[in-house]
Amino acid sequence: MNKVGVKVTLVSGRTLMQGKTMEKGKTSQEYFEAVSYCEIDATTLKALGIEAGDPIQIETQLGTVVVRSKLNKNLTPGIAFIPCGPYFNALIGSYTGQTGMPIYKNIEATIFPAPEEKIPTIDEITGDK
Amino acid sequence: MNDEIVLKNGRVFDPMNGINGEIKDICISNGKIVEKVSGSAKEIDLKGSTVMPGGVDMHTHILGSKVNMARMMCPETNRHSPYLATKNTRGGVGGITPNSYVTGYLYSIMGYTTVVEPALPPEKALSSWEEIEDIPGLDIGLLPLFGNSMITFRYIKEGDVNGLAAYIAWILKSVGGLGVKVVNPGGTYAWAYGGNIRELDTPVPQWDITPRQIMHGLAEAVELLGLPHQMHLHPNNLGKVGNVETTIAQLEALKSVKGHKKGRSVVHLTHMAFDCLGMVEDGKPEWKYLASAGEEFAKYFNKNKHFTTDLGQITFGPVMTMTGDGPFQFSLYQLTGGKAKWANLPVEVELPGGAGIVPFNFVPTSPAHSLQWATPLEFALNVDDIWRCVMTTDHPNGGPFMKYPLVIAWLMSKKLRGEWIEKAHKLVQERSHLSEIEREYTLEEIAITTRAAPAKILGIERTKGHLGIGADADITVYGFDSEKLNLAANPEKIIKHFSQAKYTFKGGVQVAKKGVVGKHLHARVFSIHPRLDDGLSIRSEKEIADMIGKWYCHSYENYTVPARYREHLEIPTEIDSTSISA
Amino acid sequence: MSETRKTIENVPCTFCGCLCDDLIIEIEDGQIVKNTNGCAISKEKLLGCNENRLLQPLINGSPVSLDDAIQHVAEIIASSRRLLIYGLSSTENDAHREAYKIAELVRGVVDNTSSVCHGPTILGVQSSGEPNAMLAEVRNRSDLIIYWGSNPAAAHPRHIPRYIKKEGEYIKDPKEDREIWLVDIRRTTTARMVNKFIQINPASDLEVLLTLRALVRGHVLDVDEVGGLKIDQLKEMAEHMKSAKYGTLFFGLGLTQSRGSHRNIDAAIRLIQDLSAHTKWTMMPMRGHYNVAGANKTSTWMTGYPYAVDYARGYPRYQPGEYTAVDILANGEADALLNIASDPVAHFPIDAVEHIKKIPVINIDPKINMTSKLAEVNIPSAIAGIECDGAATRMDGLPIYLKKVIDPPEGILPDREILRMIYNSLMKVLKK
Repeated sequence: MNKVGVKVTLVSGRTLMQGKTMEKGKTSQEYFEAVSYCEIDATTLKALGIEAGDPIQIETQLGTVVVRSKLNKNLTPGIAFIPCGPYFNALIGSYTGQTGMPIYKNIEATIFPAPEEKIPTIDEITGDK
Repeated sequence: MNDEIVLKNGRVFDPMNGINGEIKDICISNGKIVEKVSGSAKEIDLKGSTVMPGGVDMHTHILGSKVNMARMMCPETNRHSPYLATKNTRGGVGGITPNSYVTGYLYSIMGYTTVVEPALPPEKALSSWEEIEDIPGLDIGLLPLFGNSMITFRYIKEGDVNGLAAYIAWILKSVGGLGVKVVNPGGTYAWAYGGNIRELDTPVPQWDITPRQIMHGLAEAVELLGLPHQMHLHPNNLGKVGNVETTIAQLEALKSVKGHKKGRSVVHLTHMAFDCLGMVEDGKPEWKYLASAGEEFAKYFNKNKHFTTDLGQITFGPVMTMTGDGPFQFSLYQLTGGKAKWANLPVEVELPGGAGIVPFNFVPTSPAHSLQWATPLEFALNVDDIWRCVMTTDHPNGGPFMKYPLVIAWLMSKKLRGEWIEKAHKLVQERSHLSEIEREYTLEEIAITTRAAPAKILGIERTKGHLGIGADADITVYGFDSEKLNLAANPEKIIKHFSQAKYTFKGGVQVAKKGVVGKHLHARVFSIHPRLDDGLSIRSEKEIADMIGKWYCHSYENYTVPARYREHLEIPTEIDSTSISA
Repeated sequence: MSETRKTIENVPCTFCGCLCDDLIIEIEDGQIVKNTNGCAISKEKLLGCNENRLLQPLINGSPVSLDDAIQHVAEIIASSRRLLIYGLSSTENDAHREAYKIAELVRGVVDNTSSVCHGPTILGVQSSGEPNAMLAEVRNRSDLIIYWGSNPAAAHPRHIPRYIKKEGEYIKDPKEDREIWLVDIRRTTTARMVNKFIQINPASDLEVLLTLRALVRGHVLDVDEVGGLKIDQLKEMAEHMKSAKYGTLFFGLGLTQSRGSHRNIDAAIRLIQDLSAHTKWTMMPMRGHYNVAGANKTSTWMTGYPYAVDYARGYPRYQPGEYTAVDILANGEADALLNIASDPVAHFPIDAVEHIKKIPVINIDPKINMTSKLAEVNIPSAIAGIECDGAATRMDGLPIYLKKVIDPPEGILPDREILRMIYNSLMKVLKK
């Protein structure tokens, strides 16, 4: 397999839309849209050979998820951002180092173009009972 | 009636009613002490037991953000003191800063029934009422802080004592307060910019008023209102070697305040242990020159009746220091070489510099700690009027309240003091007179200093601190016979019995028996609601609303503690302050 | 104006830790129609309070009566051996009291959402203390403000406009008299609102904080660069911080959720403490949920500890990393989950969520959330601060009374009442 990806430091955090749509309701389309993307910078976009908005697959040591790409001109190359929520959480582990707090920020990740992939729904991510 | 009880054959110490160790029956009905009860009253035979009014602690930090910060910051102080839940009581921890439930239970076990939290930041009062919901078995009073409030300063600056009195009245009503607390007047404000004020006439930054003016104005306002409890003062320059001098100067400055009742003290100096540090002759204000000023201060106390005091006795062992004196707490942190934990909690507008919290350990090997231990004892054993002198440890500053039995034993037993002087640093024998003092407090004197005196000073003596007709049936029964047991010679027995009352009755209900709390009783809160002249009230509310609108960032309308948190707990006393003109 | 229209002023907003209490809420026919002063999120929360609601209790997705749901909950809890009670930060304090009571009764574990937000801040405080700030004091006095690892423009939209860019008693012209810095690893929307954006390398917060501390103490460091910043720039920062009259550090999850976690906080605290020897410095965690500070506080006075409390032995014990929600789930330890006013399925790592799927979950929330979908029992509740009153704690410790401005939907009760019913029902089941 000749998958070519870009290594990034992946960060999660709050956004205004994530906050707004969370209050609206987590089953809303707006919430889905507010948490299922990944911001990357122009260089990364170019290296991946994709257009902003194309699906990308993100892999970490602990998980994989497909999200929509989004251009953020203010990002430094090498940093990528996903709003906090179920998509980001699919990429991290539960080890808390005896603190109770998993590491939600600064995760090593690789981004691949995923033109054929569909962005899963939140239900598909968190799964059923 | 079913809740009638008669306590028979106990030996009663009730100094307020002049009863000193007489065998006497006490009748209880409807939570009150009454003259007689019906034949169907429950009888409890207390032959061979000692009976006193329920204990009154007039200065103990048991709630509020600083206590919660201490609990949160130092889980290690509670980890090893589990307190199991039972069918009737809640669980918790009982270290230096017990959780709310256990705070109540531990007081009940010792026979205490009334306590005063002496540092309430008024704007945070809602939380305190929520906490009181969870402090069982006690009647509680709250003293809001006024000594560094910008609103106080404004009235002081304008020389408007009536306006200041109206502000005090508004706060007492809004938050359910019992009296006025002043901490390091002006000094904690200066701490908002990293400073402090140690002298009476040093101006407060940005305000051009002095601690003298602040203190004097507040004491005057308290007396104008006719509050039952005089101004409760933590002076400037706390914890500084030689500060007995500045403390006396502060008390002198308050002599000219006119009390609203003849013969009444106009200021209560709290935790004198921290306010009355002496200095060797030709010394400098550094720890190595520390000497006890207990006797010196007792001489001043005996001559000057315009103030009352409590000890803030230092006990050896781990403590949690917490005061509204932010700069003092920072200096204590620096004294540890920055090794200790240090928290600081500002309260917007009302305590700009903020209160500090530093866990600390008083050790007998330290000369300074040993002398600080000796000072309040030397004082207490030299005072001639115990009615003005109250036993406290300034919980949890000098030691947790669970150490009261030890302090009582020190006061009652020269033998025990001797043993501790041996354990303490030898400087105690050179720079204090403690080892020479023969005096031993009698049981009557203990009943005064732990019950009658604090009730009187707090102005709640109608129902508290005594066992006369009409008093609340708050009663402690200790399981020893004072005729048969020589307490002074057996200090370990003092500690044993005062640690664990045989019975504690609160409002006629038996809450504890030999160390076991059997009842989770809701707290009650005593507050004072001064009634003002309408004109003054209208003027003052408008001014306060303006200042809150300008200086705070939450609304005037949301300031007052809502009735739903208070009405089932509060017992307000209305006083007539309408003579103060607008 | 119709008779049913009314306006309520000074309403506290129950979204973030700012607890802004200046909302003007207009109500028509029992519904909120206008929110003046609220931020974009506040408007969504109040005007959209009826969206996505669950209006009836459910057991395995089927509607049931409240009594049946409570009975079922009591049975689940009674048959569990290690119940985890979690959430609490988005409800009012009286509900917390009932939750701890249940935890004590069944000897369960009770944790609040601070374990995944500012829990590490509390751990930092436990090693060093904390010179805190309070919001009106900052507004009245602070001439240098630093946001570190925090993005208030997204998470606390009115923090800067309401408390920082407003004039205060001694900061008459905030534009001139007050400087605002932002330290972060990426240029967030907050960067537009500050005087200086200082970008540091990801996960280098600890090094940068410790370097600043060394420089404040006057040490000479033999390095050119730390965390992406030139040493000269760091020196300048340290000097500037020392010469402020009243500095304030607001810090966010950028410190607690990244590498170093509580050590980052500890370093920040020690920096502020060291600065206190030179001038006035204070600090404040940017608390997210409107009552997460309250959850820590209620837990502290009632159990003795701020979060991560275990009653297995009949008295409270405290151990983050053991009795914290993520750990107890990821370890496979909890055998039932009572979730109140939070959404662990949306916010926990996937393997903690995997365990949630294996155990019976009781979810009490006004809205349908991710956790609702996996819950065996869902009980809808009234929204605190909108449909029922209560008390909450602002990020700086100020308690604020929350108002009830409209009635909840028919038959929907506040969290505290639902929990009381569960407790009472549980007492009956346990007696059998």
